[in-house]
Amino acid sequence: MNDAEKARLEELLEKVQKPAQYIGGEMNAVQKPWDSVKTHFAFCFPDTYEIAMSHLGMKILYHLINGKEDAACERVCMPCADMADLMRKENVPLFSLESRAALNHFEIIGFTLQYEMSFTNILEMLDLGRVPVLAADRTEGDPIVVAGGPCAFNPEPLTPFIDAFMIGDGEDVMHELVDCIRDGREAGKPRLDILRALAGLEGVYVPCLYEATYHEDGTLASFSPTDPAAPAVVKKRVVKDLSAAIYPDSIPVPYTEIVHDRMVLEIMRGCTRGCRFCQAGVLYRPVRERSMERLLELADKLQKSTGYEEMSLSSLSSGDYSCLPELIRALMDQYKDKRVSVSLPSMRIDNIVKQSLEETQKVKKSGLTLAPEAGTQRLRDVINKGVTENDLIRAVTDAFECGWSSVKLYFMMGLPTETDEDLQGIGRLAKKVVDAYYALPKEKRAKGVRVTCSASVFVPKPFTPFQWAPQDTIEQVREKQAALRQYLKLKCVNFNWHESPLSMLEACICRGDRRMGRVIYEAWKLGCRLDGWSEHFRFDLWMKAFEACGLDPAFYAYRERPYDELLPWQFIDAGVSQRYLMLENERAKADKTTRDCRHGCNGCGLQSWGVCDFVEHPPLKDKEPAQAPIFD
Amino acid sequence: MKMIVVFEKSPRLRHIGHLDLMRAMQRAMRRSGLPLRYSQGFNPHILLSFAAPLSVGMPGQREIMEVPIEGTMTEAAFSAMLSPALPPDLPLLSCRAVPDEHPAPMALLAAATYEARFQDVPSGLGDAVERYLNQPEIPALRKTKSGEKPCDLKPMIYGLTLTGDTLRMTLALCEAATCKPDLLLDSLFSFAGTARPRALITRTALWGQEGGCFKPLEAL
Repeated sequence: MNDAEKARLEELLEKVQKPAQYIGGEMNAVQKPWDSVKTHFAFCFPDTYEIAMSHLGMKILYHLINGKEDAACERVCMPCADMADLMRKENVPLFSLESRAALNHFEIIGFTLQYEMSFTNILEMLDLGRVPVLAADRTEGDPIVVAGGPCAFNPEPLTPFIDAFMIGDGEDVMHELVDCIRDGREAGKPRLDILRALAGLEGVYVPCLYEATYHEDGTLASFSPTDPAAPAVVKKRVVKDLSAAIYPDSIPVPYTEIVHDRMVLEIMRGCTRGCRFCQAGVLYRPVRERSMERLLELADKLQKSTGYEEMSLSSLSSGDYSCLPELIRALMDQYKDKRVSVSLPSMRIDNIVKQSLEETQKVKKSGLTLAPEAGTQRLRDVINKGVTENDLIRAVTDAFECGWSSVKLYFMMGLPTETDEDLQGIGRLAKKVVDAYYALPKEKRAKGVRVTCSASVFVPKPFTPFQWAPQDTIEQVREKQAALRQYLKLKCVNFNWHESPLSMLEACICRGDRRMGRVIYEAWKLGCRLDGWSEHFRFDLWMKAFEACGLDPAFYAYRERPYDELLPWQFIDAGVSQRYLMLENERAKADKTTRDCRHGCNGCGLQSWGVCDFVEHPPLKDKEPAQAPIFD
Repeated sequence: MKMIVVFEKSPRLRHIGHLDLMRAMQRAMRRSGLPLRYSQGFNPHILLSFAAPLSVGMPGQREIMEVPIEGTMTEAAFSAMLSPALPPDLPLLSCRAVPDEHPAPMALLAAATYEARFQDVPSGLGDAVERYLNQPEIPALRKTKSGEKPCDLKPMIYGLTLTGDTLRMTLALCEAATCKPDLLLDSLFSFAGTARPRALITRTALWGQEGGCFKPLEAL
């Protein structure tokens, strides 16, 4: 930004709400002199500061890129609506928190894709940052716009806007990508040649080098590279050894309150459980644990560098970490006197250790959230959740005995094969949790039990066994929500539900093809942004955008896709084979569960990659033939 | 013992509110490894008190806080531990060791100096300041919790001078009487009959009183 723009920005900051989110300068923020490095990387989070700063992936990559001698990474967040409007009116470009540099001054712009409903923010940020929104409009001097994260596994809806996608774990590929762009720029290569070089890196997808054609009915007819530099299949990147992988020992400490204002220790990546609705469970396979020794070392450094009073152990299923009790005890010992509390999100109902409950609340008691996901055992078997009612009752009884009095229960509605019986089951389960509280003698429980049931709408996701499944229509969901409201009219029970139109759009975008990019563009042109914030979400504008593009949301959300249909994300190899996903989908239809693959390889497809620790276990001899592994 | 700490809240951080600043300081204390003292109770917090909260939007050149610590230590040792733990925009300027019985800075506070730097200085402002101060009384309406109350600003103004584009104001700041710079500027410009121009207001000093004279608060 030039001085006039900076002065205008100062004036804007006096007019907007929560100006502190735009100032940077936090403890541990890295600000390298602009001219001291060759490559400037703008790490863009397509949501506001309070959410961006709660995100672990950004902290890892910020630390990684700033660790490179010849590169600097600066953070850029989506401004709130009032700020965005004023910036446009007063001609102030979107800027980085560290140097207040305009977005178009960076050589590389990287977005992390965590949530489909933040996609319009990407367009808004590029536009505010004076970068051509459409990749096709970018010319030699423009930044190269890249993206990664879980939503990059179906990159197709964003192909009009992104020059290159990184698929899978970011730690290794980020190094290669930054170096490749730096080398290309130094050698004075034209933009297209740099992109072709990027396409040669494992795990990198450069959409302009591919072409998609469609059948008359709208389904995908073909998808293939148009350039010899581009591979036909893009394989996700996997960091094999998490203990050796880079991890920040210092992270920026925000001044203002953010959603998760604490230090985070990622204890493991991946999950072996195989819940059939869960996309993360497939994308982050295989399970890799960080060693306890490394975790204790990182915890110590992070605590000293941040001064945080709370530490959270993060993973998809923390209870599966093989030495969790030892880790918690060691952390408790280390921090008792320093007044640091340790919290454990993502605990499964069937392995909450009572001791963990007791230990973690010694310093400070946090809320307890459990996810049975479905109301009956039959439906829990369909989704392969693998927990029973007894597990839940035991877990909440333990929690009540340890002094908790409020429990949150997460459910999904609209799961494949769901009936009214399953919704009634949610009510019965909530009632039993309340009963478990009253079953305890008065002196053994805290006062005032509160059970909060929260039901989200099921969204079928790519790379899950339910990727072919239709989503319930908005009308069906509304009926189910009304029914569930009745079933949960119980003493001491609250019910929260999610907006159904939003879930429908999520379903459209997450399983969308290239043409969905036009809808996103049109929606943004009509004024959609910050769609994840209910006060800004404009379903009517999104519907207009579909109409303008001649596309039908029902085609993407409500249609059951046949197995022989070419899926838009099928050219990406997530390690888990399409064949395995089909098999799992069939087992779901037959109410059959699949074991946790820690107890024996199920042959999901990753076994041939040499990255999975559990392949070593010989497949268990099961009675059911379908349980036997399938090796392609 | 306690340390009286002088620090700067730099212009970059002026939009940080008081509670956020307090939390930032507490985290800095925890990073420092200093032998801190904690409050009693179910959720103990670090004992730390500020002489006077700064308004959101205002930088402070010499802000003051009091930090009780366990045992004794030299000022040099204290500052060697705290300085590296502070963010670059909250630098430590000096510190002074005092015994526990020493009154809290908040209790000794009498006045503060503010500097308003104008983007465009209205012509004739220097004259207006002189005429403004020559009034026998300076009536104004002070906003309180129970509505607006009439008051006389004159006894609360200890200094008011214009140098170049900067208006320097030394105003009462204590429990008995407080005149905020905003109130004074509104009153001054309505007296001068001109619109109040945009200005960056910085608090530059905090004062206590000793023997009828103002002294830097940290020296008392």
